[in-house]
Amino acid sequence: MSCASDISKSSEYMSFRSSIPLRKIVVDSDGSKAWRIFDSGPKSVSCPLICLPPVSGTADVFFKQVMGLASRGVRVIAAEPPPYWSMKEWCDGFKRLIDYLELDRVHIFGASLGGFIAQKFAELTTNCPHVASLILCNTFTDTSVFEYHDSAALFWLLPSLVLKRMLMGNFTTDKVDRRMAESIDFMVERLESLTQSELASRLTLNCSPCYIQPQLLSDIPVTIMDVWDESALSSKVREDLYKSYPQAKLAHLKSGGNFPYLCRSDEVNLHLLIHLRQFDGSELSASYLSLHKMPTQSNNPEEGTVSYFNKREKCVKIS
Amino acid sequence: MSSRKKVLLKVIILGDSGVGKTSLMNQFVNKKFSNQYKATIGADFLTKEVIVDDRIVTMQIWDTAGQERFQSLGVAFYRGADCCVLVFDVTAPNTFKSLESWRDEFLIQASPRDPDNFPFVILGNKVDLDNRAVSAKRAQQWCQSKNDIPYFETSAKEAVNVELAFQTIARNALAQETEAELYNEFPDQIKLNANDNSRNRDGDNCAC
Repeated sequence: MSCASDISKSSEYMSFRSSIPLRKIVVDSDGSKAWRIFDSGPKSVSCPLICLPPVSGTADVFFKQVMGLASRGVRVIAAEPPPYWSMKEWCDGFKRLIDYLELDRVHIFGASLGGFIAQKFAELTTNCPHVASLILCNTFTDTSVFEYHDSAALFWLLPSLVLKRMLMGNFTTDKVDRRMAESIDFMVERLESLTQSELASRLTLNCSPCYIQPQLLSDIPVTIMDVWDESALSSKVREDLYKSYPQAKLAHLKSGGNFPYLCRSDEVNLHLLIHLRQFDGSELSASYLSLHKMPTQSNNPEEGTVSYFNKREKCVKIS
Repeated sequence: MSSRKKVLLKVIILGDSGVGKTSLMNQFVNKKFSNQYKATIGADFLTKEVIVDDRIVTMQIWDTAGQERFQSLGVAFYRGADCCVLVFDVTAPNTFKSLESWRDEFLIQASPRDPDNFPFVILGNKVDLDNRAVSAKRAQQWCQSKNDIPYFETSAKEAVNVELAFQTIARNALAQETEAELYNEFPDQIKLNANDNSRNRDGDNCAC
């Protein structure tokens, strides 16, 4: 595209795309349906962090988590589903993906719709747990917050232009700083790349009547990550989520809009590490390194640098 | 309406290792104290809702590892801080002497807009112990010389002054946050960018 967004032209994004392959994995009988994933980090880790995007996102919207956490030895899988039209179908597909990748359990970082589905998946698999923990970013427990219940049944026949318009209406561009504006540009670009069936199916899931029963998830460690500026969720929706998970760690961000994983990635990654740290040394660890370990004092930062806060985060190396 | 907006205050606790940073935070948030010392690794945070002048505010209190003073904690950690709490141990003069460099470290890393007026609060902890080595007067003098930083003598163990100190921390942080908001109302330079971006986006649409 002649007018690519600043983020997709950035050297960090380019090095991400040139170092980590996009894999397409078919787990359904319909061979045209493929999950798209970026799988980075040591394959020996069988309990990775899986990132699930919002309606308008593709797998690569989490490239900053993939790149940022890889240096701490965390296996991160950014995953994007093929069109699934019901929650049940989605969760069955995701379960087959987990089996295909030979994962024991997964930590899920889900943004918006991704976070809602992550909760649903955890709820549907309580008998045979697949979810080790949840990090819920700008998400909700009941689709009724979108007030689209009646029209959700019709999304499948709307042209993609109309669906895109519906979503772009939510991308407020007033009162944003530069990094937020860049993240919105990038997301608009991702949105443009989605097909009608991808968009319509995700919007259908997002808006069809469905709710989570959080009492079934009380054994699962949860971090709630949310942004307190006005562009994201209303405070009512945020409060409802806190009430659903009274045991959750609350990782509030002052600003960041709808896409903090892009525009506040350093803060988001810090919260992800603090969340994942509790599993250090257990079979549920998402990293092959100890996330608790103090950074080494030597001048050789290439190995064993697992500090939460080192300056190397800024530079991206292609190895 | 906007003045009733829910406020998030980010508070950072710094100080040498073993002065009681984690204990102070735990006493304030969980009303608990443990005699057992466990070094903090990296950084962690707790949140607590408090009421300041009839406003409900949420404090996000960041506890740090004292050992990490010569390592960079990174910008993400300091970004958006509204108040910095510096802790020393009244029985250990070295920890008092370090306050200066902790303060400098914070100002360099966080680079607040107005460093001279950025709210700090000093806590002289462990006043329940007998072997006191830093007098209240000495501490107060230092605080006065640094633009009148509020000073509290606390005991995380016996919950002395902890509530009071954090009330002050919250109030000063709120004042700082409100000021930061005011600046954000006029993002002249940023506005230009926003326009730029919306133009780009129109371009994108045309291309399709």
